[in-house]
Amino acid sequence: MDASVITNIFGDFSAMAPMIVMILGVLLMPALYFTTKNRVVVTAAMLAFTAVSAIVNLILLLGGYNGDYLGLFEYDAFSGLMILLFQIVALLIGLVTASSTEVTRLHYGAFMSLLMAATVGMMFVATATDLVVIFVGVELASISSYILVSMKRNDPRAAEAAVKYVIIGGMSTALTVYGISMLYGVVGVTNLAAIADAMQTQGFTWAFAIAMITMIAGYGFKIASVPFHMWAPDVYEGASTPVSAFLAVGSKKMGLIVFFKIFLVMFVAGTTVSTFATAEMQYLFAIIAAITMTVGNIVAIAQTNIKRMLAYSSIAQAGYILIVMAVMSEYALVGGIFHMFTHVFMKGGAFLIVGALICVGIGERISDYRGLAKRAPFLAFAMLLFLFSLAGIPPLAGFTSKFVLFSAAIYGDGGATSQWVWLAFLAILNSAISLYYYARVVKAMYIEKGESAERIAVPLPFLIAIAICVVAVIVLGVYPQAILGPAADAAAALFSLV
Amino acid sequence: MIPVEYFLALAAILFAIGAYGVMTKVNTILVLMSIELMLNAANINFVVFSGFLGDAMGQVFVLMVISVAAAEVAVGIAILLNAYKIKKTTEVTALTSMRW
Repeated sequence: MDASVITNIFGDFSAMAPMIVMILGVLLMPALYFTTKNRVVVTAAMLAFTAVSAIVNLILLLGGYNGDYLGLFEYDAFSGLMILLFQIVALLIGLVTASSTEVTRLHYGAFMSLLMAATVGMMFVATATDLVVIFVGVELASISSYILVSMKRNDPRAAEAAVKYVIIGGMSTALTVYGISMLYGVVGVTNLAAIADAMQTQGFTWAFAIAMITMIAGYGFKIASVPFHMWAPDVYEGASTPVSAFLAVGSKKMGLIVFFKIFLVMFVAGTTVSTFATAEMQYLFAIIAAITMTVGNIVAIAQTNIKRMLAYSSIAQAGYILIVMAVMSEYALVGGIFHMFTHVFMKGGAFLIVGALICVGIGERISDYRGLAKRAPFLAFAMLLFLFSLAGIPPLAGFTSKFVLFSAAIYGDGGATSQWVWLAFLAILNSAISLYYYARVVKAMYIEKGESAERIAVPLPFLIAIAICVVAVIVLGVYPQAILGPAADAAAALFSLV
Repeated sequence: MIPVEYFLALAAILFAIGAYGVMTKVNTILVLMSIELMLNAANINFVVFSGFLGDAMGQVFVLMVISVAAAEVAVGIAILLNAYKIKKTTEVTALTSMRW
Protein backbone atom coordinates (compact mmCIF):
# COMPACT_ATOMS: atom_id res chain seq x y z
CA MET A 1 0.00 0.00 0.00
CA ASP A 2 1.08 3.56 -0.61
CA ALA A 3 2.71 5.42 2.26
CA SER A 4 0.75 8.59 1.40
CA VAL A 5 -2.19 7.22 3.40
CA ILE A 6 -0.15 7.83 6.54
CA THR A 7 1.73 10.94 5.43
CA ASN A 8 -1.56 12.70 4.64
CA ILE A 9 -2.68 12.19 8.24
CA PHE A 10 0.56 12.84 10.12
CA GLY A 11 2.19 15.41 7.81
CA ASP A 12 5.63 16.43 9.05
CA PHE A 13 5.39 13.97 11.93
CA SER A 14 5.17 10.91 9.64
CA ALA A 15 8.63 9.73 10.70
CA MET A 16 7.27 9.45 14.26
CA ALA A 17 3.80 8.14 13.34
CA PRO A 18 4.12 4.67 14.98
CA MET A 19 5.46 6.25 18.18
CA ILE A 20 2.71 8.88 18.32
CA VAL A 21 0.04 6.18 18.27
CA MET A 22 1.82 4.29 21.06
CA ILE A 23 2.27 7.45 23.18
CA LEU A 24 -1.49 8.08 23.02
CA GLY A 25 -1.91 4.56 24.41
CA VAL A 26 0.66 5.22 27.16
CA LEU A 27 -1.33 8.22 28.33
CA LEU A 28 -4.71 6.50 28.10
CA MET A 29 -3.99 3.19 29.89
CA PRO A 30 -3.96 4.37 33.57
CA ALA A 31 -7.12 6.46 33.04
CA LEU A 32 -8.88 3.55 31.37
CA TYR A 33 -8.08 1.19 34.24
CA PHE A 34 -9.06 3.84 36.80
CA THR A 35 -12.52 4.25 35.24
CA THR A 36 -13.34 0.66 34.24
CA LYS A 37 -11.33 -1.46 36.76
CA ASN A 38 -11.49 -4.14 34.10
CA ARG A 39 -8.26 -5.87 33.07
CA VAL A 40 -9.74 -7.34 29.89
CA VAL A 41 -10.71 -3.89 28.61
CA VAL A 42 -7.26 -2.46 29.34
CA THR A 43 -5.54 -5.43 27.67
CA ALA A 44 -7.76 -5.10 24.60
CA ALA A 45 -7.04 -1.35 24.40
CA MET A 46 -3.30 -1.95 24.74
CA LEU A 47 -3.34 -4.60 22.00
CA ALA A 48 -5.48 -2.33 19.80
CA PHE A 49 -3.10 0.63 20.14
CA THR A 50 -0.05 -1.55 19.49
CA ALA A 51 -1.75 -3.21 16.51
CA VAL A 52 -2.74 0.16 14.99
CA SER A 53 0.83 1.35 15.50
CA ALA A 54 2.07 -1.84 13.81
CA ILE A 55 -0.28 -1.32 10.86
CA VAL A 56 0.87 2.31 10.49
CA ASN A 57 4.46 1.09 10.60
CA LEU A 58 3.83 -1.68 8.07
CA ILE A 59 2.20 0.74 5.60
CA LEU A 60 5.18 3.09 5.90
CA LEU A 61 7.68 0.21 5.64
CA LEU A 62 6.05 -1.52 2.65
CA GLY A 63 5.42 1.86 0.97
CA GLY A 64 9.15 2.54 1.13
CA TYR A 65 8.66 5.73 3.12
CA ASN A 66 11.80 7.69 3.91
CA GLY A 67 11.69 10.87 5.90
CA ASP A 68 13.09 12.70 8.89
CA TYR A 69 11.90 15.02 11.62
CA LEU A 70 14.16 17.95 12.63
CA GLY A 71 17.23 15.83 11.97
CA LEU A 72 16.54 13.97 15.23
CA PHE A 73 14.37 11.10 13.95
CA GLU A 74 14.67 9.38 10.63
CA TYR A 75 12.36 6.69 9.32
CA ASP A 76 14.02 4.35 6.82
CA ALA A 77 14.07 0.63 6.04
CA PHE A 78 16.28 -0.10 9.09
CA SER A 79 14.21 1.78 11.66
CA GLY A 80 10.95 0.48 10.18
CA LEU A 81 12.07 -3.14 10.50
CA MET A 82 13.35 -2.62 14.05
CA ILE A 83 10.15 -0.85 15.10
CA LEU A 84 8.24 -3.86 13.77
CA LEU A 85 10.39 -6.13 15.97
CA PHE A 86 9.56 -4.12 19.10
CA GLN A 87 5.86 -4.05 18.22
CA ILE A 88 5.85 -7.84 17.87
CA VAL A 89 7.47 -8.10 21.31
CA ALA A 90 4.92 -5.70 22.84
CA LEU A 91 2.00 -7.61 21.28
CA LEU A 92 3.25 -10.99 22.55
CA ILE A 93 3.89 -9.73 26.09
CA GLY A 94 0.76 -7.58 26.28
CA LEU A 95 -1.34 -10.57 25.25
CA VAL A 96 -0.21 -12.82 28.10
CA THR A 97 0.22 -10.36 31.00
CA ALA A 98 -3.41 -10.27 32.17
CA SER A 99 -3.57 -14.05 32.60
CA SER A 100 -0.21 -14.39 34.36
CA THR A 101 -0.53 -15.01 38.08
CA GLU A 102 2.88 -13.47 38.75
CA VAL A 103 2.12 -9.89 37.70
CA THR A 104 0.67 -7.60 40.35
CA ARG A 105 -3.09 -7.05 40.12
CA LEU A 106 -3.07 -3.71 41.96
CA HIS A 107 -1.74 -1.37 39.28
CA TYR A 108 -2.60 -3.11 36.05
CA GLY A 109 -3.18 0.14 34.13
CA ALA A 110 0.23 1.44 35.18
CA PHE A 111 1.84 -1.87 34.21
CA MET A 112 0.39 -1.73 30.69
CA SER A 113 1.28 1.95 30.38
CA LEU A 114 4.89 1.26 31.39
CA LEU A 115 5.10 -1.70 29.03
CA MET A 116 4.07 0.57 26.16
CA ALA A 117 6.37 3.37 27.37
CA ALA A 118 9.34 1.01 27.35
CA THR A 119 8.40 -0.03 23.81
CA VAL A 120 8.19 3.63 22.76
CA GLY A 121 11.68 4.18 24.17
CA MET A 122 13.00 1.28 22.09
CA MET A 123 11.24 2.65 18.99
CA PHE A 124 12.87 6.06 19.63
CA VAL A 125 16.26 4.36 19.61
CA ALA A 126 15.40 2.56 16.36
CA THR A 127 14.55 5.83 14.57
CA ALA A 128 17.13 8.09 16.23
CA THR A 129 19.76 9.90 14.19
CA ASP A 130 21.09 11.93 17.11
CA LEU A 131 22.85 10.96 20.33
CA VAL A 132 20.33 12.99 22.37
CA VAL A 133 17.43 10.90 21.10
CA ILE A 134 19.35 7.65 21.61
CA PHE A 135 20.13 8.68 25.20
CA VAL A 136 16.54 9.68 26.01
CA GLY A 137 15.10 6.59 24.29
CA VAL A 138 17.40 4.20 26.16
CA GLU A 139 16.55 5.87 29.46
CA LEU A 140 12.80 5.83 28.77
CA ALA A 141 13.01 2.09 28.13
CA SER A 142 15.33 1.44 31.10
CA ILE A 143 13.47 3.47 33.75
CA SER A 144 10.16 1.91 32.68
CA SER A 145 11.65 -1.55 32.94
CA TYR A 146 13.03 -0.90 36.45
CA ILE A 147 9.43 -0.42 37.59
CA LEU A 148 8.16 -3.38 35.54
CA VAL A 149 10.68 -5.65 37.30
CA SER A 150 9.49 -4.61 40.76
CA MET A 151 5.78 -5.10 39.92
CA LYS A 152 5.50 -8.72 40.98
CA ARG A 153 3.29 -10.37 43.56
CA ASN A 154 4.43 -12.08 46.76
CA ASP A 155 8.07 -12.53 45.89
CA PRO A 156 10.95 -10.85 47.77
CA ARG A 157 13.26 -11.78 44.91
CA ALA A 158 11.57 -9.17 42.68
CA ALA A 159 12.41 -6.37 45.13
CA GLU A 160 16.02 -7.52 45.25
CA ALA A 161 16.23 -7.83 41.46
CA ALA A 162 14.78 -4.33 41.01
CA VAL A 163 17.36 -2.79 43.39
CA LYS A 164 20.19 -4.52 41.54
CA TYR A 165 18.77 -3.45 38.18
CA VAL A 166 18.33 0.20 39.18
CA ILE A 167 21.85 0.49 40.59
CA ILE A 168 23.57 -1.23 37.66
CA GLY A 169 21.35 0.65 35.19
CA GLY A 170 22.14 4.00 36.81
CA MET A 171 25.85 3.21 36.78
CA SER A 172 25.70 2.31 33.08
CA THR A 173 23.76 5.53 32.34
CA ALA A 174 26.45 7.57 34.06
CA LEU A 175 29.22 5.82 32.11
CA THR A 176 27.38 6.36 28.83
CA VAL A 177 26.68 10.04 29.43
CA TYR A 178 30.31 10.67 30.38
CA GLY A 179 31.40 8.93 27.16
CA ILE A 180 28.93 10.92 25.07
CA SER A 181 30.17 14.16 26.65
CA MET A 182 33.79 13.33 25.74
CA LEU A 183 32.74 12.35 22.21
CA TYR A 184 30.84 15.63 21.89
CA GLY A 185 33.95 17.50 22.99
CA VAL A 186 36.11 15.70 20.43
CA VAL A 187 33.90 15.97 17.34
CA GLY A 188 31.68 18.93 18.34
CA VAL A 189 28.41 17.43 17.00
CA THR A 190 25.83 14.92 18.24
CA ASN A 191 24.28 13.93 14.92
CA LEU A 192 25.26 10.38 13.93
CA ALA A 193 25.87 11.14 10.25
CA ALA A 194 27.90 14.25 11.19
CA ILE A 195 29.95 12.16 13.63
CA ALA A 196 30.60 9.64 10.85
CA ASP A 197 31.75 12.52 8.61
CA ALA A 198 34.02 13.85 11.34
CA MET A 199 35.63 10.40 11.59
CA GLN A 200 37.21 10.97 8.15
CA THR A 201 39.54 13.60 9.65
CA GLN A 202 39.64 12.38 13.24
CA GLY A 203 42.80 10.93 14.78
CA PHE A 204 42.66 8.47 17.67
CA THR A 205 43.29 10.80 20.62
CA TRP A 206 43.22 9.99 24.34
CA ALA A 207 39.93 11.86 24.79
CA PHE A 208 38.38 9.81 21.98
CA ALA A 209 39.71 6.60 23.59
CA ILE A 210 38.07 7.53 26.93
CA ALA A 211 34.81 8.26 25.11
CA MET A 212 34.89 4.88 23.37
CA ILE A 213 35.78 2.88 26.49
CA THR A 214 33.06 4.42 28.67
CA MET A 215 30.41 4.23 25.96
CA ILE A 216 31.16 0.60 25.11
CA ALA A 217 31.12 -0.26 28.82
CA GLY A 218 27.87 1.66 29.40
CA TYR A 219 25.98 0.16 26.49
CA GLY A 220 27.68 -3.18 27.19
CA PHE A 221 25.68 -3.23 30.43
CA LYS A 222 22.48 -2.78 28.44
CA ILE A 223 23.11 -5.83 26.23
CA ALA A 224 24.66 -7.76 29.16
CA SER A 225 27.91 -8.51 27.37
CA VAL A 226 30.62 -10.12 29.50
CA PRO A 227 32.13 -8.67 31.77
CA PHE A 228 29.08 -6.43 32.29
CA HIS A 229 26.56 -9.29 32.51
CA MET A 230 26.21 -10.07 36.22
CA TRP A 231 22.90 -8.24 36.67
CA ALA A 232 21.06 -10.09 33.89
CA PRO A 233 20.49 -13.55 35.46
CA ASP A 234 19.41 -12.01 38.79
CA VAL A 235 16.96 -9.62 37.14
CA TYR A 236 15.52 -12.25 34.78
CA GLU A 237 15.06 -14.69 37.68
CA GLY A 238 13.56 -12.12 40.03
CA ALA A 239 11.17 -10.45 37.60
CA SER A 240 7.81 -11.94 36.64
CA THR A 241 8.27 -14.15 33.59
CA PRO A 242 6.46 -11.93 31.02
CA VAL A 243 8.76 -9.09 32.10
CA SER A 244 11.82 -11.36 31.86
CA ALA A 245 10.77 -12.22 28.33
CA PHE A 246 10.31 -8.54 27.54
CA LEU A 247 13.79 -7.67 28.83
CA ALA A 248 15.48 -10.63 27.14
CA VAL A 249 13.99 -10.09 23.69
CA GLY A 250 13.20 -6.36 23.71
CA SER A 251 15.65 -4.47 25.89
CA LYS A 252 18.63 -6.44 24.64
CA LYS A 253 17.76 -5.72 20.99
CA MET A 254 17.63 -2.02 21.83
CA GLY A 255 21.20 -2.15 23.15
CA LEU A 256 22.35 -3.97 20.01
CA ILE A 257 20.70 -1.33 17.80
CA VAL A 258 22.65 1.32 19.72
CA PHE A 259 25.85 -0.62 18.97
CA PHE A 260 24.93 -0.74 15.27
CA LYS A 261 23.85 2.90 15.05
CA ILE A 262 26.76 4.47 16.93
CA PHE A 263 29.80 2.20 16.73
CA LEU A 264 29.24 0.33 13.46
CA VAL A 265 28.50 3.52 11.50
CA MET A 266 31.35 5.39 13.16
CA PHE A 267 34.04 2.78 12.64
CA VAL A 268 33.02 1.79 9.13
CA ALA A 269 33.26 5.49 8.26
CA GLY A 270 36.69 5.60 9.89
CA THR A 271 38.16 2.70 7.86
CA THR A 272 39.41 5.10 5.17
CA VAL A 273 41.70 6.86 7.65
CA SER A 274 44.94 5.09 8.48
CA THR A 275 45.42 6.86 11.84
CA PHE A 276 42.01 5.74 12.97
CA ALA A 277 42.07 2.48 14.89
CA THR A 278 39.20 0.62 13.21
CA ALA A 279 41.15 -2.66 13.00
CA GLU A 280 41.97 -2.51 16.72
CA MET A 281 38.33 -1.77 17.57
CA GLN A 282 37.26 -4.74 15.44
CA TYR A 283 39.56 -6.93 17.51
CA LEU A 284 38.16 -5.45 20.73
CA PHE A 285 34.60 -6.29 19.64
CA ALA A 286 35.71 -9.75 18.47
CA ILE A 287 37.18 -10.45 21.92
CA ILE A 288 34.03 -9.15 23.66
CA ALA A 289 31.88 -11.35 21.39
CA ALA A 290 34.07 -14.43 21.97
CA ILE A 291 34.12 -14.01 25.77
CA THR A 292 30.40 -13.20 25.92
CA MET A 293 29.27 -16.31 24.04
CA THR A 294 31.72 -18.61 25.83
CA VAL A 295 31.01 -17.43 29.37
CA GLY A 296 27.26 -17.33 28.71
CA ASN A 297 27.19 -20.91 27.47
CA ILE A 298 29.57 -22.41 30.02
CA VAL A 299 27.88 -20.84 33.06
CA ALA A 300 24.47 -21.87 31.70
CA ILE A 301 25.52 -25.53 32.03
CA ALA A 302 25.69 -25.17 35.84
CA GLN A 303 22.21 -23.67 36.25
CA THR A 304 19.34 -25.56 37.85
CA ASN A 305 16.76 -22.72 37.58
CA ILE A 306 15.35 -22.62 34.05
CA LYS A 307 14.93 -18.83 34.03
CA ARG A 308 18.60 -18.36 34.96
CA MET A 309 19.58 -20.88 32.30
CA LEU A 310 17.60 -18.96 29.67
CA ALA A 311 19.17 -15.71 30.94
CA TYR A 312 22.69 -17.04 30.42
CA SER A 313 21.64 -18.40 27.04
CA SER A 314 20.43 -14.86 26.20
CA ILE A 315 23.87 -13.54 27.08
CA ALA A 316 25.41 -16.09 24.71
CA GLN A 317 22.97 -15.13 21.92
CA ALA A 318 23.99 -11.47 22.32
CA GLY A 319 27.56 -12.68 21.91
CA TYR A 320 26.66 -14.30 18.58
CA ILE A 321 25.07 -11.06 17.35
CA LEU A 322 28.16 -9.09 18.43
CA ILE A 323 30.01 -10.96 15.64
CA VAL A 324 28.48 -8.24 13.41
CA MET A 325 30.53 -5.63 15.28
CA ALA A 326 33.75 -7.58 14.63
CA VAL A 327 33.16 -8.31 10.95
CA MET A 328 31.61 -4.90 10.16
CA SER A 329 30.28 -5.89 6.73
CA GLU A 330 26.81 -5.33 5.32
CA TYR A 331 26.21 -9.07 4.92
CA ALA A 332 27.04 -9.63 8.60
CA LEU A 333 24.52 -6.95 9.55
CA VAL A 334 21.86 -8.80 7.53
CA GLY A 335 22.68 -11.92 9.54
CA GLY A 336 22.57 -9.93 12.79
CA ILE A 337 19.13 -8.48 12.01
CA PHE A 338 17.85 -11.92 11.00
CA HIS A 339 19.14 -13.45 14.23
CA MET A 340 17.54 -10.66 16.26
CA PHE A 341 14.17 -11.57 14.74
CA THR A 342 14.50 -15.31 15.25
CA HIS A 343 15.74 -14.70 18.81
CA VAL A 344 12.51 -12.83 19.58
CA PHE A 345 10.44 -15.90 18.72
CA MET A 346 12.57 -18.70 20.14
CA LYS A 347 13.70 -17.01 23.38
CA GLY A 348 10.38 -15.21 23.81
CA GLY A 349 8.52 -18.48 23.25
CA ALA A 350 10.69 -20.36 25.75
CA PHE A 351 10.13 -17.70 28.43
CA LEU A 352 6.37 -17.68 27.72
CA ILE A 353 6.22 -21.45 28.26
CA VAL A 354 8.01 -21.04 31.59
CA GLY A 355 5.54 -18.28 32.49
CA ALA A 356 2.54 -20.38 31.47
CA LEU A 357 3.72 -23.30 33.58
CA ILE A 358 4.30 -21.08 36.62
CA CYS A 359 0.64 -20.04 36.34
CA VAL A 360 -0.46 -23.65 36.82
CA GLY A 361 1.87 -24.25 39.75
CA ILE A 362 4.92 -25.84 38.13
CA GLY A 363 8.14 -24.43 39.54
CA GLU A 364 11.16 -22.82 37.92
CA ARG A 365 13.61 -25.67 38.49
CA ILE A 366 14.56 -27.92 35.60
CA SER A 367 13.68 -30.95 37.77
CA ASP A 368 10.10 -29.63 37.95
CA TYR A 369 9.79 -30.28 34.21
CA ARG A 370 10.05 -34.08 34.59
CA GLY A 371 7.39 -35.94 32.67
CA LEU A 372 6.01 -32.78 31.09
CA ALA A 373 5.58 -34.47 27.70
CA LYS A 374 2.80 -36.65 29.18
CA ARG A 375 1.13 -33.81 31.05
CA ALA A 376 1.21 -31.13 28.33
CA PRO A 377 2.24 -32.56 24.96
CA PHE A 378 1.88 -29.29 23.02
CA LEU A 379 3.89 -27.20 25.51
CA ALA A 380 6.62 -29.83 25.74
CA PHE A 381 6.89 -30.05 21.95
CA ALA A 382 6.94 -26.24 21.60
CA MET A 383 9.69 -26.04 24.25
CA LEU A 384 11.63 -28.70 22.34
CA LEU A 385 11.32 -26.65 19.13
CA PHE A 386 12.42 -23.42 20.82
CA LEU A 387 15.40 -24.99 22.59
CA PHE A 388 16.60 -26.83 19.47
CA SER A 389 16.14 -23.63 17.48
CA LEU A 390 18.29 -21.77 20.05
CA ALA A 391 20.95 -24.46 19.69
CA GLY A 392 20.77 -24.18 15.90
CA ILE A 393 19.28 -27.48 14.72
CA PRO A 394 17.94 -27.40 11.11
CA PRO A 395 15.33 -26.77 9.75
CA LEU A 396 14.37 -24.36 12.53
CA ALA A 397 14.81 -20.59 12.39
CA GLY A 398 17.79 -20.53 14.75
CA PHE A 399 19.80 -22.66 12.33
CA THR A 400 19.09 -20.45 9.32
CA SER A 401 19.90 -17.18 11.06
CA LYS A 402 23.06 -18.59 12.64
CA PHE A 403 24.07 -19.93 9.22
CA VAL A 404 23.83 -16.44 7.68
CA LEU A 405 25.58 -14.83 10.64
CA PHE A 406 28.48 -17.30 10.88
CA SER A 407 28.96 -17.51 7.12
CA ALA A 408 29.33 -13.71 7.15
CA ALA A 409 32.19 -14.11 9.62
CA ILE A 410 33.84 -16.76 7.40
CA TYR A 411 33.25 -14.76 4.22
CA GLY A 412 34.55 -11.56 5.80
CA ASP A 413 34.49 -8.20 4.10
CA GLY A 414 34.09 -9.27 0.45
CA GLY A 415 37.03 -11.68 0.26
CA ALA A 416 36.91 -15.47 0.31
CA THR A 417 39.37 -15.64 3.20
CA SER A 418 38.64 -13.77 6.36
CA GLN A 419 40.50 -13.08 9.59
CA TRP A 420 37.32 -13.92 11.49
CA VAL A 421 37.20 -17.64 10.67
CA TRP A 422 38.31 -18.36 14.27
CA LEU A 423 35.35 -16.37 15.58
CA ALA A 424 32.91 -18.39 13.45
CA PHE A 425 34.62 -21.60 14.59
CA LEU A 426 34.29 -20.55 18.24
CA ALA A 427 30.62 -19.66 17.71
CA ILE A 428 29.88 -23.09 16.20
CA LEU A 429 31.74 -24.76 19.08
CA ASN A 430 29.62 -22.73 21.48
CA SER A 431 26.43 -23.86 19.75
CA ALA A 432 27.52 -27.43 20.40
CA ILE A 433 28.10 -26.64 24.09
CA SER A 434 24.67 -25.00 24.31
CA LEU A 435 23.01 -28.13 22.94
CA TYR A 436 24.15 -29.94 26.11
CA TYR A 437 22.15 -27.80 28.54
CA TYR A 438 19.15 -27.49 26.21
CA ALA A 439 19.08 -31.26 25.85
CA ARG A 440 18.97 -31.58 29.66
CA VAL A 441 15.58 -29.84 29.67
CA VAL A 442 14.36 -31.99 26.78
CA LYS A 443 15.52 -35.13 28.62
CA ALA A 444 13.64 -34.06 31.75
CA MET A 445 10.48 -33.43 29.73
CA TYR A 446 10.48 -36.52 27.50
CA ILE A 447 12.52 -39.29 29.14
CA GLU A 448 12.38 -38.84 32.92
CA LYS A 449 9.26 -39.82 34.83
CA GLY A 450 7.36 -37.18 36.78
CA GLU A 451 5.58 -37.56 40.12
CA SER A 452 2.21 -36.59 38.67
CA ALA A 453 0.65 -37.53 35.34
CA GLU A 454 -2.46 -35.34 35.36
CA ARG A 455 -3.01 -33.08 32.35
CA ILE A 456 -2.22 -29.38 32.53
CA ALA A 457 -4.47 -26.65 31.09
CA VAL A 458 -2.64 -23.34 30.76
CA PRO A 459 -4.43 -20.00 30.13
CA LEU A 460 -5.57 -19.46 26.52
CA PRO A 461 -3.65 -16.18 25.84
CA PHE A 462 -0.41 -18.01 26.65
CA LEU A 463 -1.32 -20.78 24.21
CA ILE A 464 -2.03 -18.26 21.44
CA ALA A 465 1.27 -16.42 21.99
CA ILE A 466 3.23 -19.68 22.11
CA ALA A 467 1.51 -20.93 18.94
CA ILE A 468 2.49 -17.70 17.14
CA CYS A 469 6.10 -18.24 18.20
CA VAL A 470 6.04 -21.89 17.04
CA VAL A 471 4.72 -20.90 13.61
CA ALA A 472 7.31 -18.11 13.30
CA VAL A 473 10.19 -20.39 14.31
CA ILE A 474 9.22 -22.96 11.66
CA VAL A 475 8.34 -20.47 8.88
CA LEU A 476 11.50 -18.37 9.31
CA GLY A 477 13.50 -21.61 9.26
CA VAL A 478 12.17 -23.03 6.00
CA TYR A 479 11.35 -19.74 4.26
CA PRO A 480 14.06 -17.26 5.35
CA GLN A 481 13.44 -15.02 2.31
CA ALA A 482 10.48 -13.57 4.24
CA ILE A 483 12.92 -11.68 6.45
CA LEU A 484 16.17 -11.74 4.45
CA GLY A 485 14.86 -9.28 1.83
CA PRO A 486 13.73 -6.61 4.31
CA ALA A 487 16.87 -7.24 6.39
CA ALA A 488 19.07 -6.59 3.33
CA ASP A 489 17.20 -3.31 2.69
CA ALA A 490 17.61 -2.39 6.34
CA ALA A 491 21.35 -3.10 6.35
CA ALA A 492 21.78 -1.04 3.16
CA ALA A 493 19.84 1.83 4.76
CA LEU A 494 22.09 1.79 7.84
CA PHE A 495 25.26 1.64 5.77
CA SER A 496 24.04 4.61 3.69
CA LEU A 497 24.57 6.72 6.84
CA VAL A 498 28.32 6.18 6.48
CA MET B 1 40.71 32.55 30.55
CA ILE B 2 40.93 29.25 32.35
CA PRO B 3 42.20 26.45 30.04
CA VAL B 4 39.71 23.67 29.17
CA GLU B 5 41.91 20.99 30.74
CA TYR B 6 41.21 22.34 34.24
CA PHE B 7 37.48 21.78 33.83
CA LEU B 8 38.00 18.33 32.33
CA ALA B 9 40.22 17.39 35.27
CA LEU B 10 37.55 18.58 37.70
CA ALA B 11 34.93 16.49 35.89
CA ALA B 12 37.22 13.46 35.76
CA ILE B 13 37.94 13.70 39.51
CA LEU B 14 34.22 14.02 40.26
CA PHE B 15 33.50 11.01 38.02
CA ALA B 16 36.21 8.96 39.74
CA ILE B 17 34.87 9.85 43.20
CA GLY B 18 31.38 8.80 42.07
CA ALA B 19 32.64 5.51 40.60
CA TYR B 20 34.58 4.80 43.81
CA GLY B 21 31.44 5.47 45.83
CA VAL B 22 29.31 3.13 43.69
CA MET B 23 31.80 0.31 44.15
CA THR B 24 32.58 0.70 47.87
CA LYS B 25 29.46 2.04 49.60
CA VAL B 26 27.28 -0.48 51.39
CA ASN B 27 24.18 1.69 51.82
CA THR B 28 22.13 1.79 48.60
CA ILE B 29 21.07 5.42 49.19
CA LEU B 30 24.74 6.42 49.14
CA VAL B 31 25.23 4.37 45.96
CA LEU B 32 22.42 6.33 44.27
CA MET B 33 24.05 9.59 45.42
CA SER B 34 27.36 8.46 43.94
CA ILE B 35 25.63 7.78 40.61
CA GLU B 36 24.35 11.38 40.73
CA LEU B 37 27.95 12.56 41.15
CA MET B 38 28.98 10.65 38.02
CA LEU B 39 26.10 12.13 36.03
CA ASN B 40 27.02 15.64 37.17
CA ALA B 41 30.62 15.07 36.09
CA ALA B 42 29.26 14.44 32.59
CA ASN B 43 27.14 17.60 32.88
CA ILE B 44 30.24 19.70 33.66
CA ASN B 45 31.90 18.23 30.56
CA PHE B 46 28.90 19.10 28.40
CA VAL B 47 28.71 22.70 29.62
CA VAL B 48 32.45 23.24 29.23
CA PHE B 49 32.57 21.81 25.72
CA SER B 50 29.42 23.71 24.77
CA GLY B 51 31.06 26.97 25.90
CA PHE B 52 34.37 26.30 24.18
CA LEU B 53 32.82 25.07 20.93
CA GLY B 54 30.20 27.84 20.85
CA ASP B 55 27.53 25.16 20.20
CA ALA B 56 24.20 25.02 22.05
CA MET B 57 23.64 21.25 21.69
CA GLY B 58 25.73 20.49 24.78
CA GLN B 59 23.47 22.59 26.97
CA VAL B 60 20.38 20.88 25.54
CA PHE B 61 22.00 17.59 26.49
CA VAL B 62 22.56 18.84 30.06
CA LEU B 63 18.86 19.59 30.44
CA MET B 64 18.04 16.08 29.20
CA VAL B 65 20.54 14.52 31.61
CA ILE B 66 19.16 16.51 34.57
CA SER B 67 15.57 15.44 33.86
CA VAL B 68 16.53 11.82 33.27
CA ALA B 69 18.58 11.79 36.49
CA ALA B 70 15.61 13.16 38.42
CA ALA B 71 13.34 10.43 37.02
CA GLU B 72 15.93 7.78 37.77
CA VAL B 73 16.34 8.87 41.40
CA ALA B 74 12.58 9.06 41.93
CA VAL B 75 12.15 5.51 40.62
CA GLY B 76 15.28 4.33 42.44
CA ILE B 77 14.13 5.62 45.83
CA ALA B 78 10.69 4.05 45.33
CA ILE B 79 12.29 0.70 44.53
CA LEU B 80 14.58 1.00 47.58
CA LEU B 81 11.55 1.71 49.80
CA ASN B 82 9.85 -1.36 48.38
CA ALA B 83 12.93 -3.46 49.17
CA TYR B 84 13.19 -1.90 52.64
CA LYS B 85 9.63 -2.97 53.47
CA ILE B 86 10.58 -6.59 52.74
CA LYS B 87 14.18 -6.80 53.95
CA LYS B 88 14.12 -4.12 56.71
CA THR B 89 17.50 -2.84 55.52
CA THR B 90 18.90 -0.80 52.64
CA GLU B 91 22.36 -2.36 52.63
CA VAL B 92 23.61 -4.04 49.46
CA THR B 93 25.15 -6.84 51.52
CA ALA B 94 21.59 -8.01 52.33
CA LEU B 95 20.76 -8.58 48.65
CA THR B 96 22.20 -12.05 48.39
CA SER B 97 19.26 -14.39 47.77
CA MET B 98 20.26 -14.80 44.11
CA ARG B 99 23.83 -15.65 43.13
CA TRP B 100 25.45 -17.05 39.99
